[in-house]
Amino acid sequence: MTIQKARPSRRVWLPALFLGLFGAVLAARLVQLQVLQHEAYAAQARSELLGSSTIYARRGAILDRNGGVLATSVDTWDVYLNTRAWRTPETRAAVLEKVSAITRIPRADIETRLAASGAVETRIAIDLDFELGRQLIEADLPGVVLLPNTARVHPEGDLAAAVLGFTGLDNTGLAGIEAFYNDILQGKAGKAVYERDTLGDPIPYGQYVATEPVPGDDLVLTIDRYLQRLAEEMLAAAVKEHRASGGSIIVMDPSNGEILANATLPTVRFSTLEQDLESATEEKSPFKNIAVTDTYEPGSVMKVVTAAAAIDAGVVTPDTTYVDNGVVDVEGVLLKNWDDGVYGTQTMTGVLQHSINSGAVFMQQKLGTRLFQSYLDAFGFGKPTGIDLPGEASGFFRRPEDPGYSPVDVATQSFGQSISVTPVQMMQAIAACINGGNLITPHVVKARIRPDGSRVDVQPAVVRRVISQAASDAVRRMMGDVVTQDPDGWGRNPARYTAGGKSGTANIPVWGTYTDDQQIVSFMGFAPLENPRILVLVRLDQNRNLLTGTQAAGPIFARYVDEALRYLGVPPEKGTATAR
Amino acid sequence: MAAINHPLGGVRRPLGLPIPGFRINWGVAAAVAFLLFAALLPVLQNSFVTSQGFDVQASQRQQARLRSEISLLEADVARLTSQARIERRAQEIGLVKAGDPIYVTVQEPGPAPAKLPAEYLPPPAPQPAPADSWWKSLLRWRPW
Repeated sequence: MTIQKARPSRRVWLPALFLGLFGAVLAARLVQLQVLQHEAYAAQARSELLGSSTIYARRGAILDRNGGVLATSVDTWDVYLNTRAWRTPETRAAVLEKVSAITRIPRADIETRLAASGAVETRIAIDLDFELGRQLIEADLPGVVLLPNTARVHPEGDLAAAVLGFTGLDNTGLAGIEAFYNDILQGKAGKAVYERDTLGDPIPYGQYVATEPVPGDDLVLTIDRYLQRLAEEMLAAAVKEHRASGGSIIVMDPSNGEILANATLPTVRFSTLEQDLESATEEKSPFKNIAVTDTYEPGSVMKVVTAAAAIDAGVVTPDTTYVDNGVVDVEGVLLKNWDDGVYGTQTMTGVLQHSINSGAVFMQQKLGTRLFQSYLDAFGFGKPTGIDLPGEASGFFRRPEDPGYSPVDVATQSFGQSISVTPVQMMQAIAACINGGNLITPHVVKARIRPDGSRVDVQPAVVRRVISQAASDAVRRMMGDVVTQDPDGWGRNPARYTAGGKSGTANIPVWGTYTDDQQIVSFMGFAPLENPRILVLVRLDQNRNLLTGTQAAGPIFARYVDEALRYLGVPPEKGTATAR
Repeated sequence: MAAINHPLGGVRRPLGLPIPGFRINWGVAAAVAFLLFAALLPVLQNSFVTSQGFDVQASQRQQARLRSEISLLEADVARLTSQARIERRAQEIGLVKAGDPIYVTVQEPGPAPAKLPAEYLPPPAPQPAPADSWWKSLLRWRPW
């Protein structure tokens, strides 16, 4: 018997080849999946198995200088409804009724939101009160999902809102201190990792905290809540009385740059934040603190800086005299006094007392353009002060090398025109004039308190010495002579304390020219005279009654000084009875 | 085919079951017990860990709730000590805003500070012994 050997034919080797190739492809694919891409698929498998959730860190509180709470965080809930969890209309109705009763959201509103949302899960409440959320959890309603969140609360209401700023829905600071110190306040969120079952729910014993949350630091501000409230109340009353479009009262300790109060109008309000955000314009934005973001021409307050520079340079003394003719000719341009008055022979002290423009130009011309502008640089004009608030403007003044420069520019800069400054910049400069000559960086944060309770104080930062101690003493007394033109307790002269100051009335430049019906009036003063505890700027914008800085802002300064120094425990210097 | 009716050999032989007396093989028993324990151990561990896991989760939930309550209480304290609330409460109980204070400057010196009981005072600094004059110190060198 012979076995006939099969002849290899196409019917045999073609399928064999095909199957062999198929097997090789399969083997190659397996090698690719299980060897070459092992790590990637293993990671994917782990991610399927493991879930994670964020553990929010407590956002640090913001306190006033005495420990009064201005902003703090509380736990809240965001509430979502999952419509797929409701099998029957009866279940849906019962759940919505219960949710409405607990959250106090009208059922019609919930229905509207569900109808408007095409998603499976619809958020119906943000920052629900913690206790209400607990009630909702205990009710164990199908399709109700609660996610933890935190909300900012402000126990003092709208107090210092422009300084504090606000946070967004993700608890990130968007304005003010909340934005500037966001990294410090926010802390670091933690992470919890858990194993999931087939439905994606955490397996009870499979959870562990991968990263502990690190709470944010608390911030202690230099702001004093009483002085802030006093400033806000006085500013609101003044804006109303003088029919102004806005204004500011800023209070600083001139010896160390601490901002004690910063009241501005218009300002953001926590109570109307959503409406403020919707109606925001470039001029009126809740994100702005006009004390640092907006510039203005300071007017005659600048004469103090001019006098300080001239006395420090030794080109004049407080008693140097000159003759005022009511007008000064600069390169063919006639610069007149603010009241068109002619004051005759005057000392430099008289220049400040009567706010004589020609006297300021006299001092500037004694200094010369370069030296005068080097003093402006030294006083910090044209550069941000470095205050710890966001959006600070730098201000501007024209120099000889700038296009369009005219000698008239530097002459008018001596009495506060052709120069734009922020209110805080002006305070920093005047503080240097009266504190012995040191330019100090203004700041609003006094200390940080770490989660372990340790406190890190912020030290005052002296930028440079600008003028000598002797020049500073002289300028302080000259400013005192300005205030004492009024009797005690009348006008700009406080009833209980010695003080110094200078007013400013500046027309607002519109399209390169000045109009008489739009002005910014201000008064910058300090008290007590010999050992200044507070430096106060009172500014009113576009007061429709067109009173001057002395008339409108001066009396507010005097009243504020009497109240503030009494609160600070400074013994009164005048207006007291003497008993033996 | 006679062999078909051939009876099966050995069918009638008695079965030789070895039951001379029941004896426990302790080695085998120990092995079985060990195997049983080894099989049960993961179950026991799992049960224990599950129970602990529930306890831990309950504690974590309680801790989170207590933390939340602390922050709420802190916010309440802050609200109750706010200036507006203090002013409102003061008005409710009939207080009025203080008028202008009258300051009186007296020429007499202020009262002497109140004397504290001795136990609250810092201990007096030890007084150094008065130094002997130089010639008295020479006497210390005498041999008698």
